[in-house]
Amino acid sequence: MPDEIRRLSDDLARDPSSLVFMPLADALRRAGQLDVALRVALRGLDRHPYLPDAHDVLARIHADRGDLERASDEWEMALRLDPAHAQANLGLGFVEFRRGDLESAERRLSTVPLAEQTPGVAAALAHVRSALGARCANGIAAVVPNGSMPAEPAAVSRPMAWTEAIASAEAVVVVPTPAAPPVAPALTTPRSTRPVSEFPSPDPTRTKQLFDSALEGSDQHALLVDGDGLVLAGAYTDAGGNDVAEVIAAELAGVSGEAERAMRHLGLGAWTSLLVEADDAVVAMTPAPNGSLLVVTASRRTPVGLVRLLLDRALARARDWLVRVS
Amino acid sequence: MTKTPYAELLAMLSRHRGVVGSFVVSERDGLAIDSNVQIGVQAEAVAALAASLHRKARLACGAAGCGVVTFLRLDAEKGGVLAAGRDDLVLVTISEARANIGLLRVEMMRAAKALT
Repeated sequence: MPDEIRRLSDDLARDPSSLVFMPLADALRRAGQLDVALRVALRGLDRHPYLPDAHDVLARIHADRGDLERASDEWEMALRLDPAHAQANLGLGFVEFRRGDLESAERRLSTVPLAEQTPGVAAALAHVRSALGARCANGIAAVVPNGSMPAEPAAVSRPMAWTEAIASAEAVVVVPTPAAPPVAPALTTPRSTRPVSEFPSPDPTRTKQLFDSALEGSDQHALLVDGDGLVLAGAYTDAGGNDVAEVIAAELAGVSGEAERAMRHLGLGAWTSLLVEADDAVVAMTPAPNGSLLVVTASRRTPVGLVRLLLDRALARARDWLVRVS
Repeated sequence: MTKTPYAELLAMLSRHRGVVGSFVVSERDGLAIDSNVQIGVQAEAVAALAASLHRKARLACGAAGCGVVTFLRLDAEKGGVLAAGRDDLVLVTISEARANIGLLRVEMMRAAKALT
């Protein structure tokens, strides 16, 4: 494994725009280096935001970190890009399974084409169906496949033990039911009361952190502003720690329209970026989807070329995010 | 337009490779004070839009605590607009893609300091 990681890292270093970030991030995940895996996957997605496999890899990393919400978001994204993405369906199926939503899990897992059904998938589907049958039959917690409770809750406390379990028919899965008696509570996964929507929107409380992974320092900020000058995502605090995002957004309302008009009068084509140098900061803007405007600021000591690079990275995240919410 | 103190400066900027025009414009009302543009450039309209962009950038930078705007660059597929301001006056240059932006930037920022 270290050899594989080293080889893939070398490949990525030679060509940072290559797709080798996907196997590298997955190898790091399997090696338990989740923070590094996350960074590699996010950087790769900045360059290739429309690759469903890349979102699948990121989802697995989130899942291994125990963040099923984000994992679910990424698998949803993969499915938006490729509605037949088997691994994304499989991942979501397991998330639903863990939430105790057996019907949805069964539906989801059933969509994996037979040709792509590994023994693990088939076993998982059998487990879900078995659990559904057991629930219908007696309304108590169903334990599959060997009928005995596991000795310790490792499979529950490490949520993504199941991503590996996909490849193994020996997975031990405990399925709760609403009527389950309070036995072995540590082994049951609470049934979610939240409805499972087909395409859940990203968590609005995380919109302020949308660009954190695209920026490189505390002196850098990014804001996504709609055509009316309202903040869509991102954050901006001034030197005094005051949140001035809305003020800046309002001041920038109409910039896109004016830039577009100026370029039309000049016949220079569509505008691509606006860079403003001030005494204490560099501000870069670019048109974003749906008539929005992306703004990135950095301190004056940041090289102007780097600010443009940050703008590109933030734009990739903004596009990704807008696809989900629009 | 009558000759102004800015004529020589604008002529110098317009001699740069890829520059199709330059203006001195009032940020407050968007009116061109002097210009040196190639035939076909809609000087008045572009001057007004550039002044407006500069004003928005200045206000946004003020709100963000970024300090005074010293240079603005609007890029497009086939060229762009550069602007450097001082008080109410903004020096604007229209360039094609082949222009040397780095050189223009230095010249414009130096010239803007002398705008009165």
